Amino acid sequence: MASAGPLLRVERCTKQFGGLTANRDVSLEIAPGEIVGLIGPNGAGKTTLFNCISGHYHPDQGRIVFDGHDVSRARPDRICHRGVARTWQIVRAFGRMTVLDNVICGALTRTNSLARAESRALAILEFTGLRGKEREMAAALTLADKKRLEITRALATEPRLLLLDEAMSGLTPTETTAAVELVRRVHADMHLAICVVEHVMEVVMPLSHRVVVLDHGEKIADGRPEAIVRDPQVIAAYLGEPHGQRD
Amino acid sequence: MAASKRIALAVGLLVALAYPLVIQATGYTYFQTVGFLVFIYAMLGVGWNFIGGWAGQFDFGPCIFFATGAYTAALATVHWGWSPWLGMLGGIVVSMVICAVITFPVTRLRGHYFAIATVAMWMIAQPIGATWELINGSRGLFIPLAPAKSTGEAIWHLAWGGRSKALAYYYVALLLFVLSMYLAHRVDRSKLGYYFRAIRDDQEGAEAIGIDSRVYKTAARCLEAAVFAAGGVLYGFWALAVFPDQVLEMNWSVLPMISTVLGGIGRLWGPLLGALILIPISQGMSATLGAGPLAGRGLDVIVYGIIIMVVAAFRPSGLLSLPWARWFRRG
Amino acid sequence: MTELAQAVVNGLQMGLLYALVAVGLAIIWGLMEMVNFAHGEFMMLGMFGAWWLSSTLGWDPLVAMVPVALAIYALGVLTYSQLMRRVQRGDAFAQIFATVGLLLFLQNGVVALFTSDYRFVSDTVLSHLSGVQLSVLGIKLGVPLLVAGLLAFALFIGLYLLVDRTEFGLALQATSEDRDAAMLMGIRPQKMFAVAWGLGAALVGIAGVILANFFSVYPQVGLSFTVLAYAIVALGGFGSILGTLCAALLVGVVQSVTVVYLPPAFKDAFVFGSYLLIGLFRPQGLFGRF
Repeated sequence: MASAGPLLRVERCTKQFGGLTANRDVSLEIAPGEIVGLIGPNGAGKTTLFNCISGHYHPDQGRIVFDGHDVSRARPDRICHRGVARTWQIVRAFGRMTVLDNVICGALTRTNSLARAESRALAILEFTGLRGKEREMAAALTLADKKRLEITRALATEPRLLLLDEAMSGLTPTETTAAVELVRRVHADMHLAICVVEHVMEVVMPLSHRVVVLDHGEKIADGRPEAIVRDPQVIAAYLGEPHGQRD
Repeated sequence: MAASKRIALAVGLLVALAYPLVIQATGYTYFQTVGFLVFIYAMLGVGWNFIGGWAGQFDFGPCIFFATGAYTAALATVHWGWSPWLGMLGGIVVSMVICAVITFPVTRLRGHYFAIATVAMWMIAQPIGATWELINGSRGLFIPLAPAKSTGEAIWHLAWGGRSKALAYYYVALLLFVLSMYLAHRVDRSKLGYYFRAIRDDQEGAEAIGIDSRVYKTAARCLEAAVFAAGGVLYGFWALAVFPDQVLEMNWSVLPMISTVLGGIGRLWGPLLGALILIPISQGMSATLGAGPLAGRGLDVIVYGIIIMVVAAFRPSGLLSLPWARWFRRG
Repeated sequence: MTELAQAVVNGLQMGLLYALVAVGLAIIWGLMEMVNFAHGEFMMLGMFGAWWLSSTLGWDPLVAMVPVALAIYALGVLTYSQLMRRVQRGDAFAQIFATVGLLLFLQNGVVALFTSDYRFVSDTVLSHLSGVQLSVLGIKLGVPLLVAGLLAFALFIGLYLLVDRTEFGLALQATSEDRDAAMLMGIRPQKMFAVAWGLGAALVGIAGVILANFFSVYPQVGLSFTVLAYAIVALGGFGSILGTLCAALLVGVVQSVTVVYLPPAFKDAFVFGSYLLIGLFRPQGLFGRF
């Protein structure tokens, strides 16, 4: 077994774009098998943080340490090989391929054999409930199925940490419930650590073991969901100062 | 593969094999040469398809690998008496190595910046080709061809004279085309093929699932380099000389690309379909315009330019993407 | 040493001409985010226009600039309205091979009309000035090149002012940034882009007319200028006017100095090589912000 410490450690991550500081001194940890919710108002820097963790951006200052390895300057494909997979805020499947081929691409991360990748892909499609649609073109799927496909493809890379960037946005209540159920099942059966960026509180709070709150690029809270909803700083960030002063 | 497709393939192959024999009897080698050109351009189109069609990166300068292949084999024959088949292997290796070295660094360029980089590479190659003493610069490299004493020797040295030359080169071109198609077929159903298409569809998404786009874009171009190198050897020995301005001519880059785009970019049979349409057009035009004032004025390329603009504007996916072509598609 | 200094000064003057070649690519196509492989072909047409008017009607290039510019403007508008409009929304790929098709059509069209022979525009106003030379600190400034360079610079500034200060320019910027919002303000994007293409083409066509005073005219000259323009824009950063000017001057100097030390066949190779090097080490250019 690898180190007993946290699976992911973000140390004082700072990321700037021109004059805008998207992430300032953000530190957090995710333990193996933990579900961490990442919330905050629009523009708080959540997706930027995801991009720093997955290697699409490199932090200007600070470190990203995954499984004991410093991946701050690593390329996204290396980070995926180490065990981090992600989905995207604006869903992006390989539109000109079938559902099955999409997932095969993910499975090929762990094998060079097309046959083995295909059987693994079919197994995961079965698990996530897309079996039966594997011959359809990815571009022709509904939004909910596209998001499910993204998750399936990410799971095919056999990650230990799954980053879900607004996986529920744009879904109807029924679809949202199904998606939440999928996330729970993924966590229960595959023992992954999962970090969920989400706007819908009713989704994030029951799902997460822990919640981290970002506002204007900084972390303002980190704790159990019950504590977060009562944190005055969090309330102020979402609702504006006067409300925060109430209690 | 479905039975009907197997039959179609077999029939097609038989037609291709029989075609020149029928004509050979008439004594005209012209049609065999047309066939030779069709298969060379189709083969090069298959090569271009790896990087342009599957990996989705526009390569405007693959003729540099056509040239390196031709020169490597020519030098090997001139200095060491190598058979062109060995020279072809050598040319393929040399071209792939050069390709890997010069392409890997520029894979970070996206879209048309990458395309311009390939033009830049081609333009740098031109003065090198014209001045490098090793390859005789612009004076060209002549390939001495001793008449072969048996059929076996003729095949080994690609040495034919007279009427049998066009026929023999037709079959060699057909063979190389078939080999290229086989390579494409194998790559299509392999990790490489999947990764190429993933990069084309969404490079960032591909990287997020563990695909190093630099490595695979370079690999795609190296496959193209291998095919172009082989084509260069074939052309060089057919022409019995390698001149830099001939093997580095833009047409060697552009015609395969146009054939592929017309036939169906990214589709296995696209290049052949495009070549089957475009080469006869070119030959037909030179036949009718003959030795007149407009001969050799690139009129065929004007037509090609118009065709490409039309394809881009109305059907960028090419002919094979049209509904009635469903039967020919392989996806 | 003076040979080097002379080369640098010549290079700077050529750089002003190159700036005009590149500015359309930097601003117009940079703003529209469209690809134009046929950029150099419009320039080539300008060169041929100048040569043809000179050899058949005896018109000086300085005069020919006007009708040639108008004709190429019309061509640019036509290119957009018939071709590029249809490929704008789709794949970037379709844009590339649409303009490649245009390149093949234009280049070989000229070959068909005029053959690939090298031509020269002779007996021009500028060439009559070639005897006159200014001498500054021992370095000679040829008047023809100086005049041409200043003319190019004036047009360069003109375009900058057009895009940055006029209503048209602001409308173009607005359209490229947010087409729907621009439409709500009464701007018609299609018309905007057509005019932009016309302007960009006309500008590089005028550059061709000016360059015809100094360079030989042949159909294949376009592509090397396309790469040159891209090298300049890559160095200077897309959308940056100052960057384009500085990069063009730098490219002119590099080219000029290269000829001092290397065989003339390699004159452009260094410039093309620098495009590759920039792509490797500083994709955002010297002045660009990525």
